[in-house]
Amino acid sequence: MVYLDYSATTPVGYEVLDTYNRTNKDFFGNPNSLHELGVKAKNLMNSATKQIAEIFNVNENEITYTNGATESNNIAILGVALQNHKKGKHIITSRLEHPSVYAICDYLQSIGFEISYVKNDQDGLIDFEDLKSLIRPDTILVTICAVNSETGVRQPLKMIRQIVKKENPNTIIHSDMTQAVGKVSVNFHDVELATFTGHKIYGPKGIGVLYKNSSVVLTPILYGSGSVNMLNPGTPPVPLIVALSKAVRLAMSDIEKRERFIERLNNKIVDALSKYEGVMINKTKYSIPHILNISLRNIKAETFLHALEENEIYVSTNTACSSGNISNSILAIYNDKVRAESTLRISLSHLTTTEEVNKFISAFDEIYRRLSGLHS
Amino acid sequence: MEKVILIKYGELSTKKDNINFFLTKLKDNISYVLKDEDASIDYDLGRMFIHTSNIDRVLNKVKNIFGIHEINICYIIESISFSEVEEEVVNLLKGKEFSTFKVESKRSNKKINTTSVELSKNMGAYILKNIPNLKVDVNKPELLLNIEYRINNTLVYFEKVKGLGGYPVGTLGKGLLMLSGGIDSPVAGYMAIKRGVKIEAIYFESPPHTSQEAKNKVISLARKLAIYNQEINLHVINFTKIQEEIYKNIPHEYLITIMRRMMYRISAIIAGRRNCKILINGESIGQVASQTLTSMRAINEVVKLPVIRPLACFDKLDIITLAKQIDTYETSILPFEDCCTIFVPKHPVINPVREKCEEYEKLIPYEELIYTAIKNHEVLKIGPKEENAYEDLL
Repeated sequence: MVYLDYSATTPVGYEVLDTYNRTNKDFFGNPNSLHELGVKAKNLMNSATKQIAEIFNVNENEITYTNGATESNNIAILGVALQNHKKGKHIITSRLEHPSVYAICDYLQSIGFEISYVKNDQDGLIDFEDLKSLIRPDTILVTICAVNSETGVRQPLKMIRQIVKKENPNTIIHSDMTQAVGKVSVNFHDVELATFTGHKIYGPKGIGVLYKNSSVVLTPILYGSGSVNMLNPGTPPVPLIVALSKAVRLAMSDIEKRERFIERLNNKIVDALSKYEGVMINKTKYSIPHILNISLRNIKAETFLHALEENEIYVSTNTACSSGNISNSILAIYNDKVRAESTLRISLSHLTTTEEVNKFISAFDEIYRRLSGLHS
Repeated sequence: MEKVILIKYGELSTKKDNINFFLTKLKDNISYVLKDEDASIDYDLGRMFIHTSNIDRVLNKVKNIFGIHEINICYIIESISFSEVEEEVVNLLKGKEFSTFKVESKRSNKKINTTSVELSKNMGAYILKNIPNLKVDVNKPELLLNIEYRINNTLVYFEKVKGLGGYPVGTLGKGLLMLSGGIDSPVAGYMAIKRGVKIEAIYFESPPHTSQEAKNKVISLARKLAIYNQEINLHVINFTKIQEEIYKNIPHEYLITIMRRMMYRISAIIAGRRNCKILINGESIGQVASQTLTSMRAINEVVKLPVIRPLACFDKLDIITLAKQIDTYETSILPFEDCCTIFVPKHPVINPVREKCEEYEKLIPYEELIYTAIKNHEVLKIGPKEENAYEDLL
C-alpha cells in the first residue's frame, strides 16, 4: 500500500495507540468523580493538558477539548458571533477555508450576519490591502486558516494580526490550524482562537482542540454539566486527551528536519509530473511541502484516483471533506474553472519513503498513458 | 573577558565570626539548585561568582534562593589597565538601549592612584565620546554602570536582578510547619524559610471526612515551598480517630480548642523526633475563634517549644498578597474540605478556659490515640518538581 493522503487523516502512531489503550484500561475513572479513580484520571488529564499548553506556550485553561476541528470551528465562530452580535455582525473569512468554516458562515448569514470574503493573490496569499479595506468598526471576527488544506498555501498570521488589530483592535482572530499543526511551526499568540485536531498528527480520531486566549469570551453553544470546561461540558474523554497530548509531543519534535525531508519528496514528484502536458502543478511559493495539488486537464480526477487505488495507491480529489465538487481553493487562486474541476491532492508525511514516491510516479505514468484522451 | 553571575550577599555580610558558615551554606544551597547545570561557584567575603555557559537558565534558578541581596550579570575583564577597560566597556554598552547612564566605581586595588570619583568621571567621559546620543544622569539613570577595579582584574556589571534577601536556608536550623491547605500556612512557611529556617511540614488528614484531593492540594503547596527549601519532608498524620473521639465525647463549643491542642501535642512530638527547634504556623491574631489571644494561650500551653507565628500581626489582605506572590494562593483556594472545616461547632468558645480543656480531655484516651497516630504516620519527601508518574503515557 502506498498511502499519500496524510492530509485527510494519518495512521495512529504506535506509541499513541499504546497510550490510548493503557489509559483506557488503567485510568477509566470519570475525571469528574470525587473518588480516587476519578482523581487519578483527572490528574493524568491535567498533566496531559499541561504538556500541550507548554508545547504551544499557552495557559492550561486556554485549552478546550472538542471532538475535532469541525466542532472547534463551530464553538469558536458561533461563540464569537453569539457573544458579540450586539457590537457587530460582520465577519471576514477567506476563499481558502475548510468547508466547515463556510457551512458555519452560511448559517450565520442566514440569521442576519454579514460575511465578507477577502481576496487573495495569484500565490494564494491573502490580499492585505483588501483585508484592510474590509475591516469595519462592526467587524467582530476574522477567520483565516493557517494552511489551506487543498494547496498547502500558508498564510502569514502574524502579518494578518498586525493589519487586523491596527484597523480594529476589538476584532477577534480565529485560525483553523488543522493543516499546520505538526507540519510547520505555529504560534497561537498570532491569534485569539485556534483550531486543530488529533487525527492529522498521528493521534486518534474524535479529539480536537480549540485554543481560546483568556482575554476572549465565547458564548457556549453546548450546555451540560461537568466542571472541567464551560465550552464543552460533559465527561472528558481522558484516553483520547492523553493520547492527543502524546501525539502533539511527538509531532512537534523534529518538525524542521521532517519538513526538509518531505520537501525533497515533494520536489521529486513535481519534477516527474511536470513533464506531462495535461498536468498542472498547483504549487505556489507559499505552499508547504506536505501538500501537493495537481490538476488534470483531460482526465477526470475521480477516475484517476480509482485507477491509482487499483494499484493500492491512495490520494484525494479536492479534499476528503468536499469530494465531488469543484475545488474552491484552486478556483480562488488560479481563477480557472477547468483547472479547478479536476484536482488531485497528494499529501506526504515523514513516514513516506522514496520507494513509495517512486511507485507512485511509475503508476502515475502508466495510468496517465492509459487514460489520457479518453475523456477529452 | 568572561561573562559570569555575580552575587551580593546583603544582610549576611553583617555576620562576623561565623560569616563563613553562612557563606558555605549559601554556596551549598546554590550548588543544590544547579546540580543539573554546568556551573561552578567561587566566592570571597564580599562576592560570589557563578561560572556557567547558560547564564539565563542559571539566573532563573538562583533568583529563588534566600540569602542573596542582588544578582548581577557581570563581565570579568582580565586587565587592570584603565585604557583597556575603557575599550571593553564601550564594546559592552554598544547596542544596548539606554539614553542616560551613571558610572559607579569601586577601587579595592589602592595602587591605582586615581580616586573612585575620578575613575567614574573619566569612564563617563570616554563613553560619552564613543557612544552617540547619551547623557549622564546621576539621579535616575536608565543604566547604572558598576565598575570594580580589583588587584588582578576588573568587574563590570550593569544588569541586575533583586535577590530575595533573608538568610541561606538551613543556617538557623530546622522548624516544623503546621501546613493546613489554607491561605496562611504556606505563607508562614515561606517567611520562616526566608529567615534561614529549613522546614519540615506536618499535615492532619481525616479520611473519609477529608478527601485525597485535599491531601494532594497540601502536597502541591509543599511543592511550592520546596522551591525555596530544596525539598520538604511532609509528615501526614491520620487524625480521624482523634477527631471522631473528640466529636463524640467533648462538649462541642470546645471541639476546636481541644482539636488544636491535640495537633500541637502531635506536632511537638514529631518536631522533637526530627530535631526541629520550633513550630511554625499561619495563625493570625483574631482571625478565627481559635486565634483569639485567650485561645492561643489555651492551645499553646500544651507544648514547651517556641511556636513562631510569622503572620500573627498581618491583615488577611496582606497575607493574600504574599500568597499570590509566592504562587500558593490559587492552590490554597481550591475548595476541598480539610480537617479544620469538618466538625465545626455552631458557636465555638472564644475564651476557652484552661481547666476546662484539661477536664474535658480526660474524657478521651488521648495519649494512646496520639501515640497510635504518630506510630502510623506517613512521611512524604516532596521536591520542587512534580514527579510525573505518567511520563511514559505522555
